[in-house]
Amino acid sequence: MQNSSRLALYHYWVAFAVFLPAVVLGAWQMLIRSPLPAPLDDPDAYYASVTLHGTAMAYVVTTFFAMGFGYAVTATSLGRPVRGVAAAWICFVICLIGTLMAVAAVLAGHASVLYTFYPPLLASSWYYGGAFLLIGGSMIWVVLMIYNMTSWKRDNPGRPVPLAMFAITATAILWAWAASGVIVELVGILLPRSLGLTTEIDAGLARTLFSVTLHAIVYFWLMPAYIAFYTLLPQAAGGRLYSDTMGRLTFIMFIIFSVPVGMHHLFADPEHGAGMKFLQSFLTFFVALPTLLTVFSICASLEIAGRARGGRGLLGWIPALPWGEPMVLATGLSLVMLGLGGFGGLINMGYAMNSMIHNTSWVTAHFHMIFGGAVVIMYFAIAYEMWPRITGKPLQSKALARWQLWLWFAGMMIASIPWHITGLMGQPRRVAVFDYSDPFVARMGPLVIISVIGGAILLVSAILLIVILVRSQLGERRLEAPLRYALAVNPPKTVPAALNGFALWNAILLVLMVFAYGYPIGQFFILKSKVPAYEVSGPTNSVGGVDGP
Amino acid sequence: MARDQGAFRLHNPWPKIAWGMVALLVVVSTVLGFGVLSRYQQNGPTLDLWNAICRGLGLSADTAPAKEPVPALRTPTRIAWTSSTLDQIAAGDAQRGAFIAMNCVACHGQGGVSTSTLIPTLAGMDPAVIYKQLDDYRSGKRLWGVMGAIGKVVSAQDSADVAAYFAVQSHGLPPLRGYRLPESGRSLREPDPAKRLVYAGDPQRGIPPCSACHGPGGYKLGAPALQGQHADYIERQLVAFAQGIRQNDIFEQMRMIAKQLTPDEMHAVAAFYGARGGAPSAAGVAVR
Repeated sequence: MQNSSRLALYHYWVAFAVFLPAVVLGAWQMLIRSPLPAPLDDPDAYYASVTLHGTAMAYVVTTFFAMGFGYAVTATSLGRPVRGVAAAWICFVICLIGTLMAVAAVLAGHASVLYTFYPPLLASSWYYGGAFLLIGGSMIWVVLMIYNMTSWKRDNPGRPVPLAMFAITATAILWAWAASGVIVELVGILLPRSLGLTTEIDAGLARTLFSVTLHAIVYFWLMPAYIAFYTLLPQAAGGRLYSDTMGRLTFIMFIIFSVPVGMHHLFADPEHGAGMKFLQSFLTFFVALPTLLTVFSICASLEIAGRARGGRGLLGWIPALPWGEPMVLATGLSLVMLGLGGFGGLINMGYAMNSMIHNTSWVTAHFHMIFGGAVVIMYFAIAYEMWPRITGKPLQSKALARWQLWLWFAGMMIASIPWHITGLMGQPRRVAVFDYSDPFVARMGPLVIISVIGGAILLVSAILLIVILVRSQLGERRLEAPLRYALAVNPPKTVPAALNGFALWNAILLVLMVFAYGYPIGQFFILKSKVPAYEVSGPTNSVGGVDGP
Repeated sequence: MARDQGAFRLHNPWPKIAWGMVALLVVVSTVLGFGVLSRYQQNGPTLDLWNAICRGLGLSADTAPAKEPVPALRTPTRIAWTSSTLDQIAAGDAQRGAFIAMNCVACHGQGGVSTSTLIPTLAGMDPAVIYKQLDDYRSGKRLWGVMGAIGKVVSAQDSADVAAYFAVQSHGLPPLRGYRLPESGRSLREPDPAKRLVYAGDPQRGIPPCSACHGPGGYKLGAPALQGQHADYIERQLVAFAQGIRQNDIFEQMRMIAKQLTPDEMHAVAAFYGARGGAPSAAGVAVR
């Protein structure tokens, strides 16, 4: 167990160590875009910062957190040490090297292409190489999760895989499907061009491949939060999980419906026909199903807990819940943000409505609400739940943890609601400085300033998070109850083979992927759509000769 | 994964239901996307099924070109940055270029370091820039008596060679320093108009920052880096673009920008670039 715990702890530390500076960058970015004076008002610094913020938050924090969470869940839910610890450490080192390479390239100013790459913008090969090592390296983790689950099934024939393990394996499989797009893009298009092996870039193909990743990656970020909803929350609330089967179905539906839908990020792109765009838009609506299922079953689980604690009447169970527990509080706050952000998401995915908000700050606000809010607040709750069990050192103060969660919630609401509104007013995203003397832009000024205040609150909350974790780490060791996962109301004795493994669902997803992406990707092998790249790193976009010193 | 799950054995209830639902989804979304959505056109007649499917896939051969009077086609340049063009420029032979360059030194100075403030310094200039201008002179897209005559006698290969030669000459334009260090005062809040135009542009007039293409920091293929170039030359080119005398800018960006600049702004921007990079003509010649 000791080794598995250390594995999880190291991953968590990397995730949170990267998290804090990335929040600092985010707060500064809010400031430079606002009418307020900002230190270092330089648009190029802004784009470098956005790239670093996005890369850190979207790739580094999430991947390390999910991997650490995966090892912790494997060890605790299966009740035995993680198999393949040596491979896990190798994976950790590869991902860490990748992170350092990417961060160094961005800091050197050679990679201001934003974390979504935006070809034909071209960054230094160090950046792409780093991203490849980080994402490709995490595939070792994917294999380890599948290996641990299948070997447990072999050792325990006929028994249902614990829901937590089933769900983290689903997360790993989803990540493998999701990452396939960006890995092919990096290896097939961006790395060869940045190394000078090719002269042109097929931007349409690259963007299409990235769209395979771009939506599913969001669900990869989301899954740890959902696992906490299903397996940790009912226990923390003092109740039971409403339905184990519903949990399994939810995670299966996430695998199926979060990948063949990424083209709703390309509604404004010219390289695809309206029919394919509509088709993926249609498939996207089914992503709402597992989320609605989850909201239902979490509310039902909480009601069970509330009534068990003496809540009476139609809504009396709500105040009866232990809101002092960070996990319960975080879930409540998370569901509020998930609800608001989710309805915003329905607008993004609607083929016609999307054109109102495409490439406006509405989109940025949306994913900050969902990911930065609903998901990350659950990461905090998971850390507060698992840290004491891993280190044996309890949190010094639950009150401080509650403050931290409330501040994060308040900060994210204050930052992202005005942000949504400026998006509807037509404020574009990915713009460093706005000319607030222009009457069209001037009316957004007050809203942007409110967002800046939200950003400052988020920064305070992030600092508080690190303070809480460091205080726990430095505190004295005390005996802690081992981590227990929530029992279902009717714990499963046996489950259908289809709900105990992923073969059927992988086969179905493969068919859907060929259906949804076969033509959109295949057409590029007929079209001649390559263009020269624009290097963001200065004079090296010249054809040769004038390289800088 | 265990094989006993029978992903393809349809007599099991789970695979049967799952495959059935996926098949339904595929059929419904295909019919809606290609049969319904693509058929009914807001501004045109309803398409037949075959054309609707093609349109849904993005193959819109059915749309005839609009019947409107088409103005005569006038391309600003013949250069497109295709891979064959880039390959030819990259293959330029600097040694051969040195012989051709003997025809240039009378005006552009020894080694391409110009002593006249109205003639651009070529030493250290990106080869793609020189290649494009020579081609524009050859095809009459850029008009300037002497250069037009010279352009007519140098071949594309000669252009690539001479461009390669000037690109590697020293004491001319300062070496491009990749990405510039972050520094305050490069936003729209900057009070100095030249610095504001260079680094932030003027969104209200639709003017992008000069530095996005001409440096410092941002460089685009075919756009010359301006640091250290003669201020008088830059100003004259801005005036030429503004008055439509020079027309070889792809997509007319420079004409759009220059005609919105006031004479004072042109002077200030030219002085900004000319002053930067350590005044190559004065310093460079003094060294010799």
